Formats: sequence, structure tokens, C-alpha cells
Amino acid sequence: MAASIVCGRTSMFFRSLNEISCSKTLLSANAQTLLLQTASYNPKPLRLKLREPYIPDRSSEKTPDWQKTPRYDRKLFGRYGSASGIEPASLWPNHEQLERIIEDENQWHPPLEVTLKNLQEKERQDTEKRLAKEKLIAANMAKMPKMIADWRKEKRQTKTKMNEEKSRRSKLLAEARESLGQTLDPRNHKFLEMVAELEKEEKTKQKLMKKKQKHEQQAAAAPPPPPAAAP
Amino acid sequence: MSFPKKPGKALDILKNLPRITLANLRPEPGSIKADKRLGRGQHGGNRSGRGHKGQRQRGNRPRLGFEGGHTPFYLSIPKYGYNEGHSLRPQYQPLSLKRLQYLIDLGRVDPSQPIDLTQLVNSRGITIQPLKRDYGVQLVDEGADIFAAKINIEVQRASEGAIAAIERNGGVITTGFYDPISLGILIKPVPFFLRGQPIPKRMLPGQDMVPFYTDAENRGYLADPEKIQQARLALAQKYGYILPDISKDELYHMLAMRKDVRQIFFGLAPGWVVNMSEKKILKPTDEKLLKYYRS
Repeated sequence: MAASIVCGRTSMFFRSLNEISCSKTLLSANAQTLLLQTASYNPKPLRLKLREPYIPDRSSEKTPDWQKTPRYDRKLFGRYGSASGIEPASLWPNHEQLERIIEDENQWHPPLEVTLKNLQEKERQDTEKRLAKEKLIAANMAKMPKMIADWRKEKRQTKTKMNEEKSRRSKLLAEARESLGQTLDPRNHKFLEMVAELEKEEKTKQKLMKKKQKHEQQAAAAPPPPPAAAP
Repeated sequence: MSFPKKPGKALDILKNLPRITLANLRPEPGSIKADKRLGRGQHGGNRSGRGHKGQRQRGNRPRLGFEGGHTPFYLSIPKYGYNEGHSLRPQYQPLSLKRLQYLIDLGRVDPSQPIDLTQLVNSRGITIQPLKRDYGVQLVDEGADIFAAKINIEVQRASEGAIAAIERNGGVITTGFYDPISLGILIKPVPFFLRGQPIPKRMLPGQDMVPFYTDAENRGYLADPEKIQQARLALAQKYGYILPDISKDELYHMLAMRKDVRQIFFGLAPGWVVNMSEKKILKPTDEKLLKYYRS
């Protein structure tokens, strides 16, 4: 058996000279005679000591408790067989113990179908979560160009507003300086009064402008709708 | 291995040499190392190799790792969870194809019978420690190019190269799961039989390992046989060898032997009690017991 394997390996050696798997002695053996001995591992013999069994006396009080347990009985039977005088039927669990074992097994070791179902369920949940997340990301990414444009517009508007404010304040300051003949601090109450007056004037002007615009619009809107509604 | 040739001059010389006595024998040079004897003579005495005064001579050196008071190296490096949960990680003892070939060549493992973890441990080819979170043996690629043996082997994990090497030579490889109790019984069957307990059922793998053992790529024992055949063909194409047809082999019956999902030993079913002293097997007859052991 090992000889045939060895012959197979020597033939492999002939095929590929790079392998150093076979030694030279095997080559010569193959060439000259087929006298190959098979070696085998000789393990140490099992000294089981099964000759003079010591079976403890169950009835006496001197025997320790652990020698009266069912576990020890099973070991006695395992070592000495029927010579131990133990009923073989006691080696297996009785009905109550069996029921408890079955309960434990159902709880801790569910059958293969249950495990496969749980795995499928878990996989399904994972894929669902992943898909939902990807959908959310895609939707948000679709919104992104518009959001970027809005934000840029905002920035530009605030910037222009700031510039306008600045220029307005500088103009007002210049006017105030001209009218009063000295550079006023913007926080000065005279300056603030002047600014308030100017603002009032502007507001009244704007109101008048708006009213004018409204009248013009109404006048313009009145004639076109009837010709548009007719056809 | 002995090679009988015609007896030459060496044998004549041997015949004329004197008899072997203690006076003619001497140990192999380098095998016996002289003892270290302190406090004797010019070289072993005086300070006896302990140096001059101080902690060295007086044997009062601080503990290993102490560096004089500043934070030592082994405390200055922050902790990281490399070893976290290490006692819950299954380990698989590696078995290279080179070692397997070595065992087969020396006759320690019999390739004409299915090779199991029991056979490997009996031949002392591998040592498994179930109490150290070992869950079995794994086949490793090393020696795949010199491997030439047709075997039916069952391991717990196998690399793709190892599977290819075994199938290339016309063998069969299966990966099977053994829970720790079954593993302890598998590697040491005789002490288990001396315990007098009935052979237990092999438990199924947990939720983490079921995908591995139902996969045909890993030749799992829970996988579909047709898918395994397809995987064999695919692997043969990938590694570039022709898949030998096992069904036409003379050892087909041996190569097709597989264990049942709940079976630990070939030829022994769960629930049986094996008695070593009387060489008998006891089987239960109670229906409930039979139903439990067959489920």
C-alpha cells in the first residue's frame, strides 16, 4: 500500500527532475529489486489495567459518596463491563432526564432550517438597510447642485448688501459732514436724527412711487384680459 | 529499508573485532554536555560567574521589564483590541500536504481507509487541544506540488490549493464540523469508551459557521452534492488539471464513504455504548431514546 504510493512518487520524480522528494536509495530499490518494507508507527500499548476490578460496596458507610454516584457507576461499567454488576439500562438517561435534554437542545441548538431562515432574514434586513441608505444618499446628491447654487446666491446677496450698507453710511456721513461742518461720529444723536429724517423722506417717496406703479398696472391689466378671455 | 547485497569486506572486519564492552563504548560527540559546577576550582570558584558586588552578585535584580523607574516600554505602548475575545475565536491546527504525504509514506496513515481526525491523531501526525479553543484541523497548501496520494479525507477547513491538490490525485475531501465535546471524543476515543457514556449526537454548527459548511466551494458536509460536483469541475478548470472520474475507480466504495451529519465515528451511531473490556456494543431499545438519537 505504501509501496504503491512510493512507486507512484518515484515515477513523478522521473517526470520532473527538479523535485527532491524521493531519496536516491528508493531509486536504486526500484531499479534492482522491489523489496520495500512498509514501516508503521508502533504506538505504546494501552495498559488498561482491567484485570482485578475494585467494585466499591454500595451498602457500607465507609465508601465515599462519590463512589456511589451514577457517574462513577458508568465509569465502572466502562472499565469492567458486566463484571461491575451495574445494570446497563442505567447508562442512558431516563425519561425525565431525556425530556430535559431535549428541551435544552431545542433552546440552544435549533435545527438547520431555523438557522438558515434566521440567516436569510438577517441578510434581507442588511440589504434593505443598505438600499435605503443608498437611496437617501442618491436623493440628497440629486438635490446638491440646487443647494450649492442657492448657497452661492445667498453669499453673493449678503456681500452686496454689506457693500451697499457701507457705501450708504459713508455717503450719509459725508452729507452730515457737509451740512454740519464737522466729522460726526455715527453714534452721535445729531447724526442719528438726520439719518432718521432722511429715511422718512425716502419712505414717503417710495410709497408714492408704489401707488403710481399700481395705478399703471391696473390700467395696463384692464384692457388685455377681456381680449384674452374672448377667444 | 534493507537492500541485501553480497556480504563484503565490512562483515569480515566486523567478525574479527573484539566484543563490545563498556571500555569500547563512548557517547556520540556533542550529546553529553558537562554540568556547570559553581564554587569549585579556579574557574568555577571565587565569584562563581556572578560578577562584582551589587544587585547582580547578590541576586536582587528588579522584575523583568523594569527600566529603572521611568515608564517601561511594555507600559508606554497603549492597549488596542488585538487580543480582545481571543478565547472565543475558533482555532484550527494546520496540517500541510507535505506532512500528510510524509505520514502516508511512512505508513502511519492508511490511505486505503477514509482518513479522519482520529486517524491523524492516532498516528501522532497532529496534536489537537480542544480545551485551547481548537475546533479541528485545517489543510494548508504547502507541499501541494509533491502531493501524490489518492485519499478520502475529512478535515475542518481546507484552503483552495489543498482541495485542488487532493482532487487532482483522484481523492475526495470534505469539511465537517465537530462541536468541542464531539471533538474531544473524536481525538481520544478509548478514554471516552472507558467512561461508559453513550456516544452523543454531533451538534450542528452555529449561525456563524453554517454559511461556511453549506458552501460547495469549501466542500462543506451540509452542501448540495450536485453543487459540489460543479465546484470540483470549476476548480479543475481554474487550476488546470483534468478531474479524474472517481466512479470508475476500484476504491470508489471507500472514497464515497461519508459520515452522517450527526455521526462521530464511522460504523458507530449516536446512542451506542462501546465496552472495551468485553468488546461489546450496547444499543438502546427504548423508542423515545431511539427517536432522540436519530433526530
